[in-house]
Amino acid sequence: MAIHEVLTLEFFIASLALTVRIAPTILIASMGELITEKSGVLNLGVEGIMLLGAFTAFLVSFITGNPWMGALSAMLVGILIGLVFGVLTVYGGVNQVVVGLGIWLAGFGLSDVLYRIFFRDVASPTVNTIGVTPIPVLSDIPIIGPILFNHNPLVYFSLLLVPAVALFLKKTNLGMRIRAVGENPKAADSMGINVYRTRMVAVLIGSMLAGLGGAYFTTAFLSSYVLNITFGRGFIALAMIYFGNWNPYRALIPILIFNYVDSLQLGLQSIGVGIKYYFLNMLPWITVIALIPIFGRKAQAPAALLQPYRRAG
Amino acid sequence: MQPQRILRLTVFNVLAALIGLAAGLVVVAATGADVGFALSTLIFYPFSDAYNIGEIFVWFTALLTISLGIGFALRANLWNVGGEGQFLIGSIMSMIGWKALSGYGIPPPIMIVLMLLSGALGGVAWVAVPAILKAKFGSNEIVVTLLLNLVAVGMLFWALDGPIRGRFSAGYLISDVIPPELRLPLLIPETRLSVAVFIALALVVVMYILAEKTHFGLAVKAVGKNPEAARYAGINIPKITVLSLLIAGALAGLAGGLHVMGVLYRMDAGYAETGFGYIAIVVAMLGAAHPIGILFSSFFFSYIMIGAQAMQRAVQVPFPLVYAIVGIMLVSLTISQYLVRRERVVSWPFTRS
Repeated sequence: MAIHEVLTLEFFIASLALTVRIAPTILIASMGELITEKSGVLNLGVEGIMLLGAFTAFLVSFITGNPWMGALSAMLVGILIGLVFGVLTVYGGVNQVVVGLGIWLAGFGLSDVLYRIFFRDVASPTVNTIGVTPIPVLSDIPIIGPILFNHNPLVYFSLLLVPAVALFLKKTNLGMRIRAVGENPKAADSMGINVYRTRMVAVLIGSMLAGLGGAYFTTAFLSSYVLNITFGRGFIALAMIYFGNWNPYRALIPILIFNYVDSLQLGLQSIGVGIKYYFLNMLPWITVIALIPIFGRKAQAPAALLQPYRRAG
Repeated sequence: MQPQRILRLTVFNVLAALIGLAAGLVVVAATGADVGFALSTLIFYPFSDAYNIGEIFVWFTALLTISLGIGFALRANLWNVGGEGQFLIGSIMSMIGWKALSGYGIPPPIMIVLMLLSGALGGVAWVAVPAILKAKFGSNEIVVTLLLNLVAVGMLFWALDGPIRGRFSAGYLISDVIPPELRLPLLIPETRLSVAVFIALALVVVMYILAEKTHFGLAVKAVGKNPEAARYAGINIPKITVLSLLIAGALAGLAGGLHVMGVLYRMDAGYAETGFGYIAIVVAMLGAAHPIGILFSSFFFSYIMIGAQAMQRAVQVPFPLVYAIVGIMLVSLTISQYLVRRERVVSWPFTRS
């Protein structure tokens, strides 16, 4: 098919609906990591946590038949990895980049090995996915209905997560403490805030949500498992926080742009226009890099990002 | 560094590496395989015959060349996670250089040099984007170099489908074979070990002088240690950032050229699966970002990798086990760093204060 025949209104509605359906992986993971980074900790291991989350969710929902159990166990795995990361970086003060890269590589390797070991004797295993829950009335609106209101519950959850995280950071006591230790841990400490504990909580929230973001692949988006299923989306999530200048609302725009390009290329590949698949595959990654000069211009990281805190004495 | 500190550093880093291997063996045991057999394969297989010893040095050449560059950028506290992509683009560009220049009657020795240069330039081009974005917009070089690895895989498919497609590929993604006169000469027949290993060893000397004996090298170190102080001292930080990353890219690209011209002579869709670029990050860290340290850690890792691959084949554990081992090694490296921190043995590449 020639490309101008493909670009119909139906195609655009479908690709926008797909955008919203793909988005939760990156959206949930980056909202979690945003909280972590606001506390002054950079967890580069998001990709690894997502991979292990996706695998765990697949395994558990394969065994129990319940995708929600899968999602829950992925969050638990996220918390466990967050504990390792947090103990080392927050309490031990070791380099966050190194532990993060280690968690990524370990998660990449382990998710692959474990999948092949556990499903060695199962021919193309599949799981039940979380079903679509159309929102009454709203889903009947033409164009907007199918794009926004005809999805699985995790999609709505991920969209609500954006204002929730913004309010959490801005209005709640814990949120304010997280921001304080991320900007000036010394001052926060002198005001009686436990820097270590606050950062640890932020790390745990972040890695729990990274686990859920990974689980989205195997509990809601796909019914089968693919090796290296997140394929760099954990790193995309990191870039999105930077693009959004550490603001949940502003991060939403680049996240939607990325996912739109992603669903566009998926759509074009499935239809089969005259563009080579490898160019289409590269498109989302190139988009992210091209967005840096636009969104990264005035980005201002939390002042204490990457800096381990040591109490004087 | 004093000898005592080097000794402590070595002991702790080797311990950290062994923890990673032990974790790998736990996974092997979990699969129900014979752990004793796995362990003996891991330790003895790499030295079992000439071919395998040659394989150690094939890995050594690639890991050393890439990690010398990664280590150099690490001195400026820059993380080039894109060695994998730069290596791939380097290989592709060496092949494209050959295709583009053949037919002009260039003598083979000059042709070999030009092909290697083309590979190095490919690596430079591939790292230039993250380097400039980092210097100009402060974007995280880790994320951008990593994303470009994914793009590089796409470029491999493009190249195999276009500029370097084999004449007899018949629809398969496979390139032409580099003719014998343009290959790097083999050192030992019946192995895959070529003179490339000498180029890698010469680079150790070059990088040692560049890193330790030149103003530029000292400036790079100063930026990594304390960027604020470096700025006050009048060091142009964006310039150091770009140049040290470009050097890292050049070496990774060169490694790609050396690999395709010295070992494989052709490229196919599986070429992207070596993992050299990722493993080189750990090698560079294990060697404390020092050329001499990297020399030893490259050898250590090449030996381990040949053993681990043999083990993984022998007990039929999937190859990505190697990544799991490397990842756990990284995490345990930070634990060893924590344990010796009062001594500040593992210094600037690992801490950011």
